Amino acid sequence: MRNRLLRLLGVLLALALLPAVVVGGPAPSRTPPNVLVIGTSIQDIVSLDPAQAFEFRSTWVVEHLYDTLVEFNREFNRALPNVAASWTASPDLKTYTFQLRSGVRFHSGNAVNAQAVEFSLRRVMRLKMSPAFIITDFVKAETDIAAVGSDQVRITFNQGMPEVLMASVLDNPVSSVVDPALVRRNAAAGDPEANKWLTENDAGSGPYILRRWTRNAIVELVAYDGYWRGRPSMGRIFIQDLIEPAAQLLALQRGDIDVAMSLLPGQYRQLATTPGFVVKRVPTFSIRYLAMNVGYEPFASRQVRNAVKYAVDYDAIKRIYEDAIDVGQTIVPARMFAHLPDRPYTRNVERARALMREAGREAGFRATLVVSTEVPLPDIAAKIKEDLAAINITVDVQVLRSADVLGIYRGRTHHMTIARWGADYPDPDNLAKAFADFDSRVLAWRNQWDHPVKRVVQQAVQESDRAKREALYKEIQKVVLEEGPYVIFAYPLRQIAMRTNVKGVDPSPLAETFDLTNASKE
Amino acid sequence: MWAYIVRRVALASLAIAGVLVIVFFLSHIIPGDPVAAILGPQAPNDVIEDLRRRWGLDRPVHEQFVRFVVRLARGDLGDSLATHRPVIRDLREFFPATFELATAAILIGALTGLAVGVVSAVARGRPLDHAVRFLSLIGLSMPVFWLGLILLYIFYYRIPLLPGPGQLDIFIARPPWVTGMITVDALLARDGGALINALGHLLLPAVVLGSHALVGIARITRASMLEVLGQDYVKVARAKGLAERTVILKHALRNGLLPIITVIGIYYGGLLEGAVLTETVFAWPGLGRYATSAILSQDFAAIMGVTIVIALIFSLANLIVDLAYGLLNPKIRYE
Repeated sequence: MRNRLLRLLGVLLALALLPAVVVGGPAPSRTPPNVLVIGTSIQDIVSLDPAQAFEFRSTWVVEHLYDTLVEFNREFNRALPNVAASWTASPDLKTYTFQLRSGVRFHSGNAVNAQAVEFSLRRVMRLKMSPAFIITDFVKAETDIAAVGSDQVRITFNQGMPEVLMASVLDNPVSSVVDPALVRRNAAAGDPEANKWLTENDAGSGPYILRRWTRNAIVELVAYDGYWRGRPSMGRIFIQDLIEPAAQLLALQRGDIDVAMSLLPGQYRQLATTPGFVVKRVPTFSIRYLAMNVGYEPFASRQVRNAVKYAVDYDAIKRIYEDAIDVGQTIVPARMFAHLPDRPYTRNVERARALMREAGREAGFRATLVVSTEVPLPDIAAKIKEDLAAINITVDVQVLRSADVLGIYRGRTHHMTIARWGADYPDPDNLAKAFADFDSRVLAWRNQWDHPVKRVVQQAVQESDRAKREALYKEIQKVVLEEGPYVIFAYPLRQIAMRTNVKGVDPSPLAETFDLTNASKE
Repeated sequence: MWAYIVRRVALASLAIAGVLVIVFFLSHIIPGDPVAAILGPQAPNDVIEDLRRRWGLDRPVHEQFVRFVVRLARGDLGDSLATHRPVIRDLREFFPATFELATAAILIGALTGLAVGVVSAVARGRPLDHAVRFLSLIGLSMPVFWLGLILLYIFYYRIPLLPGPGQLDIFIARPPWVTGMITVDALLARDGGALINALGHLLLPAVVLGSHALVGIARITRASMLEVLGQDYVKVARAKGLAERTVILKHALRNGLLPIITVIGIYYGGLLEGAVLTETVFAWPGLGRYATSAILSQDFAAIMGVTIVIALIFSLANLIVDLAYGLLNPKIRYE
């Protein structure tokens, strides 16, 4: 009897586990040839409205739904025509007149014309959302953007704009051209610019149409047959939310995704030597640095700041990053216009101690280093603590949430912090303003470093002669390198892993993304 | 019984209000800048200040609290700083996925746990009992995150029996949104393909999420059954010549169910709010991930919204457990 009961309970147990065997079934082991499936985290997508999108994945999707007037070449040193077929600039480079390409149509079928461009850029200025500063820093009034007839747009900037700087503004996703008719049709009381509607819908003319976006799950794009450059080769693109790197790796190995974008450095290394997979790496236009607040008395001394620069073990930091960085020490990253490749600092404890002596700080001091929990920052902080102990600086490391670290950094109450800066646009102006111009109220301001080099920053952005401009930015970099309150230790590498049949996928140094229109499969 | 329910609901409301007050002030006292956290390190100061003003975060905490209460009274939880949408809409979107996952998990955990616990009790001291106890020890000490990855590796990659992360294969159209739970929506839409695929996707995360509940329920079932099996009325039942199956399932299990039901209720509440690791491994777009990102970025409105949902769930689970006692044991009276 007891055995029968055990058998019965065994059957019950088997029934509970039965679904494991009968439901589901394996997913397809390869994605179809005209479909590209990308695995990454899409949790940062909060809006697909070009006037609001400012996160990496949001702007990435927006770039493929919309067109801009101009675009950059691959080297980020020349502007190329896009919706604007050509342009002319006034001698002072303040006013640009763009001649629009004919025959470009929105996904709705409406024509892309000068009124649409005027409407779109003015709309960004009216909405004043996160990325609006990219336009409003250079265009002061809505009326400075004006349609001239139906095929010309005239934009008057508040300063002379060398072509690269003009393209930095107008190639940015915030400058996308939206379909005014759709925006007006979907405007609502309290939301006259249809921001809520555009957050989840597309009103563009770009190579892809938004089929669906399910938050924290999937973005699906379909190729736009009427795209003016011709239909892209990938008919459908899925960007699947796979937040966990190990799960992402399994999906790539299994063949459920073609491209993995957020693996760990070790996983990229593993795939790079695995047949059937390719890993592409590119140094990014972003910087990791240790900031020292000049408002904290010991760091007011240039010698102390430089002592810290000589005390840090840059090679050890590279090892902590598992080699997923390029070591660089200047504020304009490699591959960007006017990059200064100088790397004067290597760990030299004797030199660092001498500088501390010179500053009268031989006995050392205490300082707090706040870092976020983001891997591997706590490890880097521990290494820096060890490095600085050698020159008698006692570091108290505080590991906090990003929100707390940012609050402290913006409140200028830190002694030291480890932070990052990614170029908002691919021009040295963006980095020079952040790191060297106190009046821009960004990083120099946060670290209370008010140096006369800010005037060079303000001069460089106005300079129209390319060679002179380059010289000015190199001068700025040299000053920041020698006197600034930053220990710049890394230009992070961007890595993407894919199956070998995927072609045309090249990571961009500017964003954590790549151009989907060039992607194809063999 | 109705008077009892009304009294319990009133008490639960008081408890929820207390939780809300505590969570509101705690989340505001913790240092940090939610706007800066959400906009990132590069957002210009004027944009941050403008947004802070627009969201009322520049006002004193007590003023923000009053505004929160007034809005709550109107059924408005405010807008999330991170998603820029009404929190109520976020909850409506993310909660069903977690509810579906946690329900599947507790079903697997409770059914299997009960079966294992009873088997173990009946086979007390025999190799089967030892094996079950050994396995449950392993199960209890296995981190959910690790278990999820191991099961994915085995059943998705190595022996490709089951689909991978996500709620549905990307090539399968989602059934029209009715409840937000894909399996239920597929059933309502009579979409067999989507239903089977969604069940396949649900299985692994549900097993992982339900694993700790399974072990806990199995252990409490075994203990409860052992206690009941030694009672006089079980001996009498056996002496009367009743079939062993009847003795175990009708006389022993039914009487041993009270503590088991309590444990199931507690686990269910916990699963609904504690699914973040499982949701992360299996790319499940649920409340756990939403809550975690809200906490990390100090998204006050979202934190309060999630707190309300969790407090409601725990209160409801407790109430249901208490009511279930009466059904299981007619001697229990609600006063």
